[in-house]
Amino acid sequence: MKRKGFRFYLRIYFKILAQDLKSKMSYRADFIISTVGMIFTNIAGFVSFWIMFRNFPSISGYSYHEMLFLYGFSLLSVTPTQCMLDNNWNLRQQVYSGDFIKYCFRPINLFFYYESEIFDAKGLGQLAFGIGTLVYAWAKLGLAVTPLAVLKLLVFLAGASFVMAALQTAAAASCFWIENSFYVLDLAFRFRDYAKYPITIFSPVFRFIFTYIIPIAFIAYYPGMMVLRPSEVSLLSWLSPLIGAVFFYLAYRFWMYGASKFNSTGS
Amino acid sequence: MKLRKYFALTRAGIIESLHFKLGMFVMVIGNLLYLILVYFLWRSIYASAGGGSVNGMTFTDTLIYLVLATALFNFMEMYTVWEIGRNIQSGKIVLDLLKPMSYRRYLFWSYSGGFVTQFFATFLPTFIAVTVLTHGAVPLGINLLWFALSVVLAVMINYSIDFIVGTICLFTESIWGINIMKQVIVLLLSGATIPLAFFPDSLRKIVDCLPFQSIYNAPLTILLQADPTPAEVLPTVAVQLLWAVGLTVVSSLFWKCSLRQITVNGG
Amino acid sequence: MDEIIRINHITKEFRVPDRHEGLRGSIRDLFSRSYHTVHAVDDISISIAQGEIVGYLGPNGAGKSTTIKMMAGVLEPTSGEILVNGCVPYKNRTRNAQNIGVVFGQRSQLWWALPLVESFRLLKDIYQITDAQYDEMLALYRSLVDIEPLLHKPVRQMSLGQRTLSDILAAFLHDPKIVFLDEPTIGLDVSMKAKIRTLIHELNRRKNTTVILTTHDMGDVDALCRRIVIIDKGKMLYDNDIEHLKKFFGAYRTLKLRVKGDLSEQAKRIAAELPECSVSANENWISVLVNEDKQKVISVLSQLQKSYDIRDMQLEEISSEDVIKRIYEGGVV
Repeated sequence: MKRKGFRFYLRIYFKILAQDLKSKMSYRADFIISTVGMIFTNIAGFVSFWIMFRNFPSISGYSYHEMLFLYGFSLLSVTPTQCMLDNNWNLRQQVYSGDFIKYCFRPINLFFYYESEIFDAKGLGQLAFGIGTLVYAWAKLGLAVTPLAVLKLLVFLAGASFVMAALQTAAAASCFWIENSFYVLDLAFRFRDYAKYPITIFSPVFRFIFTYIIPIAFIAYYPGMMVLRPSEVSLLSWLSPLIGAVFFYLAYRFWMYGASKFNSTGS
Repeated sequence: MKLRKYFALTRAGIIESLHFKLGMFVMVIGNLLYLILVYFLWRSIYASAGGGSVNGMTFTDTLIYLVLATALFNFMEMYTVWEIGRNIQSGKIVLDLLKPMSYRRYLFWSYSGGFVTQFFATFLPTFIAVTVLTHGAVPLGINLLWFALSVVLAVMINYSIDFIVGTICLFTESIWGINIMKQVIVLLLSGATIPLAFFPDSLRKIVDCLPFQSIYNAPLTILLQADPTPAEVLPTVAVQLLWAVGLTVVSSLFWKCSLRQITVNGG
Repeated sequence: MDEIIRINHITKEFRVPDRHEGLRGSIRDLFSRSYHTVHAVDDISISIAQGEIVGYLGPNGAGKSTTIKMMAGVLEPTSGEILVNGCVPYKNRTRNAQNIGVVFGQRSQLWWALPLVESFRLLKDIYQITDAQYDEMLALYRSLVDIEPLLHKPVRQMSLGQRTLSDILAAFLHDPKIVFLDEPTIGLDVSMKAKIRTLIHELNRRKNTTVILTTHDMGDVDALCRRIVIIDKGKMLYDNDIEHLKKFFGAYRTLKLRVKGDLSEQAKRIAAELPECSVSANENWISVLVNEDKQKVISVLSQLQKSYDIRDMQLEEISSEDVIKRIYEGGVV
């Protein structure tokens, strides 16, 4: 047997992805309605944002377009979770019905195998929306478009997306312990909406909580500042990709631990 | 005698929702976090507006409005669309249709247990907390009676809308897409996320012609009025009543016609 | 023969929360929770050789699937040791998975929306099957069953029988050393059952694959297994040849009668008259299981003839099903 390295997994992922997209086409109506639903969600989010802030020149020292930048950044950083970890939403039912066992017999990483089964293509609508918002805000703010800025954006977006992925993975894994973990997952999903505001609106206590305990400030604020206001970033901004990676690793271990526990409940 | 069979369903619902103890705990935490966010967000907005009242609402008004809107949401959101959709896909709907009451009523009363638990677990504590914390900013008088009446009508309207959207699931497999569209539209246009008073005039005119504002905006506006005269409240309640009756009729008819259509085509 | 699975005194215990009934019980559970320990598997030792087909039998909840999960490496035993193909399954789950195939009754492991052949191609990549091996296996499948109509059909559109067949083919695709089949024929019609039994038998013969089969259908056991292992409440009751078992019960014969009157009523009367025998009835026959060491069939028959109007009779050797039933009921071994 050959060793199963990164390239092996990458190849498998794209093969499954291609098959999944092919089969999605056979449910075309569902695909279209879901995509429209996703676009609706984004439009509604944007309209709420616009209604709230259109009358005010700045909120806690952040201009409308700076807020918009963070908003777009947060949309982009939750997109990988939306697209690639969507099967987490089904985990609860699979565990509850015992069907989860069928994922446990393959000679590849369980988490990978489970998540690879579904690629949520409608998340790509969100991706487009996020890019649009970000580019618009970027232009309005007159930020320079240098290779360094773009590189920074990509690196810190990647780090930020690990944070959301970690939150969602850990929340989904809670179903291995508690019934109706839907609420937990739903809560993690709602964090997505909280992440788009600058953390400076909160009092120091909650700034601390949202940085160190429920690290949603790492979904948009800290990494986003690297591009938005490069001159006044804190150490936490610099560390955000590392924090994201570590946090995701812990969430992944938690998920795997839960899966091993699932099997020992007997069914 | 007739009510007893309905109460049996209520009781079963209460037992079921109590089993989800951690789910409940998490839901409370989630709401708390949401309210914290709402508090700081609007505090910043009011701070940048220079204090006082914006669009005729003070900071306290807005806060009470949004907190109670969240409590109302937990109380009213019964995931009816999901339930209908799932029952259709799994085929369980056939069993439910055989029950000696109309499906529309059966589903409503099955969920009424959830209403009762949610009322005591979230709405009542929130209401009391808000009343105590704001030192009497919530007027306690005749408006409470009108509010209660208004909430009952809101529940009817909300359920009818859910049921209409759920009926659409008979025709398409896309439960997620349909549900998410319904949810974002209702939450935004009913004033659950932002008080309608903040909406720009043109948008406000459109929203006033739609049934959604009767779900959250109507009862909450009534609640915030101190000692309203019947003349002040009646127009709002009358509009609610119209929508409640109209949508109940429409949803029942739509269900009946759809069911006939489906059974004829053997879908 | 080479030993492929070695199980030494394994046990598995679960902690199960107690749950109370009714509204008051639910409120109590909200605040406190108590647990009790369940011994799902209790001191079981088995050794299985390469190429064997072993019937793993027991009533529901006996601990069969727990044992299989431990052999598949998804569950760690509380105590005792397991070696599958020389390694400890739960310590090397993925390595072990390369050597096993699993079919879990009605839970298809194939990609629901994909045509079978696409599932096969994905499995080919996941198990790193070479092109030559893959083609050879597909050729073998073609020679055994008519797979062409299945290959291009999405799994979700298949009948239960086709799906089971596909799942079995998928489990053998990477030429594993061991295949676990958990109730593979459940819910299938007679001809499909026969087809699947032939398929399993042929694959076992051609590839020398060890097959561990759990089932409630004695037809599967009679058609496929030389050796059976029976467990109940986590404890091993029997592990030997099925022929040996039948020999053990060889003194038993089943006397089938049709008498005048309501069969189930008459069966009750007969049971009262013949305390040594076990009597049952269906809509056609009253079955009397006679132990010939104690009482000859002829004497039973002449005794019954005095008080009943016997219309028809048959004499049968004991079937595996009867044997198993005796073991579950009495624990005679």
